[in-house]
Amino acid sequence: MDLSASGKAFPPYEFHVERGKIREFADAIGDQNPIYRDPDYAAKSSAGGILAPPTMLRSFLYETRDSIEALKVKDWSYIVHGEQEFEYLAPVVAGDVLTAQDTITSIVEKESRRAGKLQIAVIETTFRNQRGETVQIARRTLVETGKRIEE
Amino acid sequence: MAQTLEFHSIHVGDAPPPLICGPLTRTDFVRYAGASHDFNPNHHDEVYAIANGNKSVFGMGMLAGGYCARLLTGWLGDVSLRRLRIRFVSRFWPDDVITCTAEVTEKDDHARLVRCEFSAVNQNGEVIIRGDASAYLGDQG
Repeated sequence: MDLSASGKAFPPYEFHVERGKIREFADAIGDQNPIYRDPDYAAKSSAGGILAPPTMLRSFLYETRDSIEALKVKDWSYIVHGEQEFEYLAPVVAGDVLTAQDTITSIVEKESRRAGKLQIAVIETTFRNQRGETVQIARRTLVETGKRIEE
Repeated sequence: MAQTLEFHSIHVGDAPPPLICGPLTRTDFVRYAGASHDFNPNHHDEVYAIANGNKSVFGMGMLAGGYCARLLTGWLGDVSLRRLRIRFVSRFWPDDVITCTAEVTEKDDHARLVRCEFSAVNQNGEVIIRGDASAYLGDQG
């Protein structure tokens, strides 16, 4: 990885949170909760609308590859997705238009007996809604290993 | 679902009934690929996955994460989560049966936050993911 990419922020990108996409995501994790699919039920709930499931916004991180490319990874078979974190500040509901911005918050090096020299990058994505409220912060930790990781 | 769990009625050590998913199929992985936009071919293209040194396609860590999040929201409430952290430990495969469990590890009376740890294991008890979460159980509908 390119250690000098640490601290870089990338251009914001916008996407729409669609009702059909929420239902599709809920179906994929087998969640029949009506808050993900029934507009009348959802409107009366504390979310106030059809709610995006907690891990759904991870899907929108594929909208741009700017931050990933800035890491300048030579061989992706040496990369593992080590950790994924979300902070929830306000509900995200169908109809929201979110603006996301990626920042590479850190890249650190560590020695590991099992995997050789490790480089650990954290990409933080801040999601704001159409009212300018920060609704979620996602952090993904990508680890480049010195050796190819086998089972 | 609409939940009635209140802060005073939950205690350290409390756990929801485990959530059991599977036996998982390749179709489950493909459905999640479409829903999540994760088109890493290791998860849907058997020819690619085997050529890449795997015994078959394998599931997305975030699919197991989604199952655990489903366990947590079903237990603690639809909009109660404040933080969720997932650590990816090992892979899972078609025909695996995944069991998701969680347990309250700490209560913050002042902030009305409940902290819990969770994990997803396969049918042999091998950990696929583990993580921790915090949920606010103060005023909510």
